[in-house]
Amino acid sequence: MGRGLFKQKNGLYAVDVTAACGVMTPAQLTGLARAAVDNNAFRIKLTTRQTVVVLLPEGNVSALEEALEPLELQVSPFGNVVRPVKACAGNSSLCPRSLGDALDLGVEIQARYLGRETPKDFKIAVAGCPRGCTDPYCADFGVIAAGNDRFRIAIGGMGGSNCPRHGEIIAENVPRDKVFTVLEHVLERFEVLAEPREKLGRAVERLGLTPFLPPAGLLSAEKAVLAADDEFVQFLQN
Amino acid sequence: MTSIRSAGEVDLAALDRPLAKLCLNCDLRDTPDCREAACLAGFARKVLKFAISKGILDIPGAAGLIPGHDFKPYYPEMIAAGLAETCRQCRECRDNHSPDCVISLVRHSLENMILTENIDYPGSVFAYLAAVKERNPDLAASLAKQLRSGQNSA
Repeated sequence: MGRGLFKQKNGLYAVDVTAACGVMTPAQLTGLARAAVDNNAFRIKLTTRQTVVVLLPEGNVSALEEALEPLELQVSPFGNVVRPVKACAGNSSLCPRSLGDALDLGVEIQARYLGRETPKDFKIAVAGCPRGCTDPYCADFGVIAAGNDRFRIAIGGMGGSNCPRHGEIIAENVPRDKVFTVLEHVLERFEVLAEPREKLGRAVERLGLTPFLPPAGLLSAEKAVLAADDEFVQFLQN
Repeated sequence: MTSIRSAGEVDLAALDRPLAKLCLNCDLRDTPDCREAACLAGFARKVLKFAISKGILDIPGAAGLIPGHDFKPYYPEMIAAGLAETCRQCRECRDNHSPDCVISLVRHSLENMILTENIDYPGSVFAYLAAVKERNPDLAASLAKQLRSGQNSA
């Protein structure tokens, strides 16, 4: 597994730092800033994958890395692995547009899958509504909240490519816990069916979507969970 | 500046006013038979109260709770006033329209009082009027009048 350490044209090193889907506590942010100052960082850049890149001299890289662990931050895994997960601010406390709990789901997916080896880099994006601020249809595995404990899943998106493609929907109304089941299934199929260094989207183009679809039994028990917001139901009856 | 859609952006109280008038004219008002969850006007008002209290504009799954057996007679001009207000408040989300949007929930509740089917909001008032006219020309005329007046006269 590669690590997010990249030599730049100007000789500095870029250290890609991952937090929980880009969410940091003030203590983490100030701790990272202090470590960056202490290690002569030139600049800090926010990335499109909701990570933070610290640019600093090569001789300071190790010291910065050591400072990350107590902050519960880490250098991003790189290469043909599950990359840091992108998730929007959709949950019951934050974005008023969100239809479901995207942020917490994204954080848990990242905690479970970050760095897992894959035939080619594997990007995951979770969005709290169809507006898709995290571009879920441009990710290898996109999750879009559709309501209370209901998620749509699309696979095979490729946002960064000479030939970009949108992901294709493989499941609707998937409950939160089954999102992990579908992800595990897709990763397993990807590992078995993809050629070396073949993106999931290209494998889908070559083989069709069918080999990657969740088997009928996988989601049958949870068929179309369309429960309304419990709190509203209670409010309606009172 | 990017704006985030929240209840503060939409005048939910304005949406409630024509519904309140429907309630005032209802024979079941203040009787034991008044059940908001089973009444189209009552449901729509509950939706608005919930949205105001939570500061939200979407209630996941609520579209499936719109009462389907409220056959009380409603005054068409009052319904038109309510529909006109939904047209004024609609943010025209187009591709991102949600059937669980509180404006959509109110609109569908009002439609169900008089139409035999719901109309998929086409994203513009003009197109909506045309769709209403196809189903109920009198309602469309009343709705157009309400929109021209710019206020609720019911």
